[in-house]
Amino acid sequence: MAVHVARDVDDATRAVAVDERAELIAGGTDLMVEINFGRRRPGALVAIDRVQELRGISRSGRVRVGAGVTYTQLLADDAGSAALREASRSVGSPQIRNAGTIGGNIATSSPAGDALPVLAALEATIVVRSVRGERRVPFAEWMTGPKRNGRARDEIIVAAEWESAGPKQTFMKVGTRNAMVIAVASLALVVDASRRRVGVALGSCGPTILRADRAQSFAAGVLDELGWERQAAPTETACAEFGALVASAARPIDDVRGTAAYRSHVLSVMAARALARVAVLG
Amino acid sequence: MPRVVRTRVELEGRMTDELALVEGKDLPGWTGERTIVGTPTTRIDGAQRVTGRARYTQDITLPGMLHVRFVRSQHARARVVRVDDTRARELRGVRAVLHRSNLPKAPFRGEETIFREEARFVGEEVAAVCAESEETAAAAIRLVDVEYEVLPHVVDLEDAISEQAPRLDEKGNVSESGSHSRGDTERALRDADVVVDATYRTSTQLHNSLETHGAVAHWDGERLTVWESTQHVFGVREGLHLALGLPYSRIRVICEFMGGGFGSKGGAGKYTIAAALFARQLGAPVRCVYTREEENLAAGNRSATLQHIRVGWTGGRTGRISGLEHISYSNSGQGRWVADPTGPTNTLYKIADLSTKSYRVVTNAGSLSAFRAPGYVEGTFALESALDELAEQVRVDPLELRRRHATSIDPLMALRYTQKRLLDCYRIGAKEIGWSRRKRGGTPGSAEHRRRGMGMASQIWFGGGGPPAFATVHLNPDGTAVIRSGTQDIGTGTRTILAQICAEELGIGVTDVRVDIGDTDAPYGPISAGSLTLASVGPAVRQAAADAREQLLGAAAGVLEVGKRELRVEGGRIVGTSRQTTIEEIFDQLKNYTVIGRGSRFPNPSETALNTFGSHFVQLEVDVRTGEVFLEKIVAVHDIGRVVNPLTAASQVEGGIIQAIGFALTEQRVLDRATGRVLNADLEEYKVPTVRDVPPIVVRFVDVPDRRANNLGARGLGEPPIIPTAAAVANAIANATGARVRTTPMTPDRVMAAFAASRA
Ligand SMILES: Cc1cc2nc3c(=O)[nH]c(=O)nc-3n(C[C@H](O)[C@H](O)[C@H](O)COP(=O)(O)OP(=O)(O)OC[C@H]3O[C@@H](n4cnc5c(N)ncnc54)[C@H](O)[C@@H]3O)c2cc1C
Repeated sequence: MAVHVARDVDDATRAVAVDERAELIAGGTDLMVEINFGRRRPGALVAIDRVQELRGISRSGRVRVGAGVTYTQLLADDAGSAALREASRSVGSPQIRNAGTIGGNIATSSPAGDALPVLAALEATIVVRSVRGERRVPFAEWMTGPKRNGRARDEIIVAAEWESAGPKQTFMKVGTRNAMVIAVASLALVVDASRRRVGVALGSCGPTILRADRAQSFAAGVLDELGWERQAAPTETACAEFGALVASAARPIDDVRGTAAYRSHVLSVMAARALARVAVLG
Repeated sequence: MPRVVRTRVELEGRMTDELALVEGKDLPGWTGERTIVGTPTTRIDGAQRVTGRARYTQDITLPGMLHVRFVRSQHARARVVRVDDTRARELRGVRAVLHRSNLPKAPFRGEETIFREEARFVGEEVAAVCAESEETAAAAIRLVDVEYEVLPHVVDLEDAISEQAPRLDEKGNVSESGSHSRGDTERALRDADVVVDATYRTSTQLHNSLETHGAVAHWDGERLTVWESTQHVFGVREGLHLALGLPYSRIRVICEFMGGGFGSKGGAGKYTIAAALFARQLGAPVRCVYTREEENLAAGNRSATLQHIRVGWTGGRTGRISGLEHISYSNSGQGRWVADPTGPTNTLYKIADLSTKSYRVVTNAGSLSAFRAPGYVEGTFALESALDELAEQVRVDPLELRRRHATSIDPLMALRYTQKRLLDCYRIGAKEIGWSRRKRGGTPGSAEHRRRGMGMASQIWFGGGGPPAFATVHLNPDGTAVIRSGTQDIGTGTRTILAQICAEELGIGVTDVRVDIGDTDAPYGPISAGSLTLASVGPAVRQAAADAREQLLGAAAGVLEVGKRELRVEGGRIVGTSRQTTIEEIFDQLKNYTVIGRGSRFPNPSETALNTFGSHFVQLEVDVRTGEVFLEKIVAVHDIGRVVNPLTAASQVEGGIIQAIGFALTEQRVLDRATGRVLNADLEEYKVPTVRDVPPIVVRFVDVPDRRANNLGARGLGEPPIIPTAAAVANAIANATGARVRTTPMTPDRVMAAFAASRA
């Protein structure tokens, strides 16, 4: 199998454009599993792990995280999202965090991908590039199904971008063990106080990352009363109500990792805790 | 002079009467302080293992080596009507295909060949392809066309018990496999003041040895040499002898290093036989090593169980257990035996009225195989949970309840134990965990939604070992020694502890001992299972070392012209006379003299019971809203007689506990009932514990030599530490929250369901 080590993004886009059988490889933590299980046999690989342009984080107004940024990097360099940090910390093991990239997570588009609920709640934009040019896709339109998205084969994800949302945000995940675990259910909550906006997104609870619209409006109402900028705890009843609304947005199934009923239950618990937690952050 | 003695031999709880060969007179136990035995000693092969120099079976590559892969049934139950290998044989690099219609006769585990006419679980071997590369073999198995006649199947334990299930055996799916009864249990339970009546379930656990099952076979025209990842090189030799019809002298089996077996590698497998058949047929070395998926489909498992316990109590808080009934069903899959969960119930406590029954249930699932304390892990979960439920109802401290029913006599055979210090284990463990801080109903946890609890459970196991086991000790002219024995180090540290025993007895240093084991060309060594390796082989090594020392001293006395009785060996020197000298100097005078000491394992004392005992204490927190369990601390205390190496002993306990944490909290094979497929035959969805799942573990031993057991005073430890953990965890969850989880693994959703049940 031919492996082309790309020097820069242009080199990579050309390499995937000319060879129809070529697939991109970044950290390889998803792709190699597929290859080892015999589920995928790429004709050729284009390695993008050495492309510097993809490895940067910038925070001038908007936050921009390159697709090649690893979880370890996200833990070391603050990308301005506490939720993304929490999500990064929960990914795999040190080895996986050293190799795995946010771009790989976005490309794989697993409903259990840990970076994804955060990107959804942040209302991030995914930037993709090919020899035909650049496209910007709102995260809400990115995923089309489990492990499916609108990326064309020759398109490279270059970055994820979002408006800095302030300190009131969190990510929570329940799995069946404490590390190296795929989420049974996960949740990201972002309260953007300056824009008066609440983002709630759920992982492992449906075919794609789901948004909880009614829960978002409810939380916005709670914060209108409490004061968006203040650090004040909502009532337990409000948190519980929020939890119930979040759970009602889920479309969980029974599978090897857990039951649908447990997923709904644990979502409501996590959501209530998440609201109580972020409300007092400042 | 060798002589034959009659003896009772135990393997994993099964007793047989056998003849054993012994030589000379057994040594008396050591007295006084030891300098090497009992001292924490790092593994003598540790550096080899961690630097990758150790060669495991998987690492064996021979020139011209061919590779085997199996075609496996995709059906839970199907008759193999026809196998057409034409397309596979046409693939470049394929050398041969074996299946029912062209396979030479190869008797294997009671069947005529290794490929059965009816495949009875998803993953059962149907044909084998031998090719020049692993990749070619893997591609070729997809080109073997198998015509199946699909038959009705059942995979789930409780489905298989029901009347509607397809019958997999003429005698029915359920058959009684063991029972015991004493006193009048029915009456005792009828008259009891309180009766706990509960049903427990345990899930199928997979061994997941890091090194998968596999063999490399080499036929040189005269002799078959097989490298195999095995717990019993002599067992593999026997399997090959039966299947291939070769005399023992023409088979050699080697296992130098091994990456775990946990009971599942007790003898030759189909991969061994297939590799050997191809090697003989093609005249080339052949390798057959399982993938992780194959490992988790076809290499055995710990049976799922369904267990009913009724246990009665009479007499308020000062009362006693009156009557205990334990009925157990085990999903043996296609296996022909049962890992009986009622063993601990029969023996752990003084209970006058007791009745136990155990049933085997056949299903279209992979066979069980022995798995670290087979049956005892499952049974102890049920028994020790039930006793805690009882303690809670009658408001007696769970530890006090157990103390009150302690027995110094094996209640099954009415025999005195060689040594039993379970009460010491309770005392040490209770102090270490801070049992006095335990409160009925638990205590507040580290956060508002968390509760903290403590639980404990006891264990009984075998591990006394016994004959036959032999060793020779060869003293080199430079004063170093080599131990030769056909035992094997399955990862437990056998090499190191045998070197310690030899060094101690010979009076030389541990690093001066080389341990040549894992080879059937050496004197016979037993299976490394049932926690018996140390207690079986260790005494033989000690005797061989003593024999070598006596011969050396005899020679030294001649050379030095003094009486032999005056001499000793100490730190590699001959001492005792004014003329101190080294072993090397004695040999210099004797030119090519070789000292070979011989040792054999003598029988265990008759009319006594030989067991190991211990107890584990767990402290944990439970998130009462999500059902997540957070282990905080585990204390393990065991009575295994003399501790030969506190370091390797502690690592056995830690390993056992980690495996038990998986059994307790995360591990379960998930089968799809409709298709019989295993949905998590990998390490992604089958969750073994990670390092973050392991809390601090405190390991303690009673460490009093068991003078009646054998010349070392030592008993085994491989299995004991996996036994009581799950029950201790369940008991701690119940203490913390009031909710009783009666099914393993105790996943968050099951914990939540238990909360709901406890509120109802
Ligand atoms: C043991 C283990 C544990 C794991 N635990 C977690 C976990 O806890 N949480 C979690 O979310 N995930 C987990 N994963 C999955 C994986 O680590 C993540 O999804 C990771 O983000 C993938 O990134 P990568 O760079 O390794 O992707 P790769 O494997 O290199 O690529 C994955 C896919 O994305 C494509 N791709 C990669 N980069 C780009 C790009 N820039 N543009 C377009 N396509 C691209 C590749 O072609 C490929 O199809 C785990 C994986 C393993 C093996």
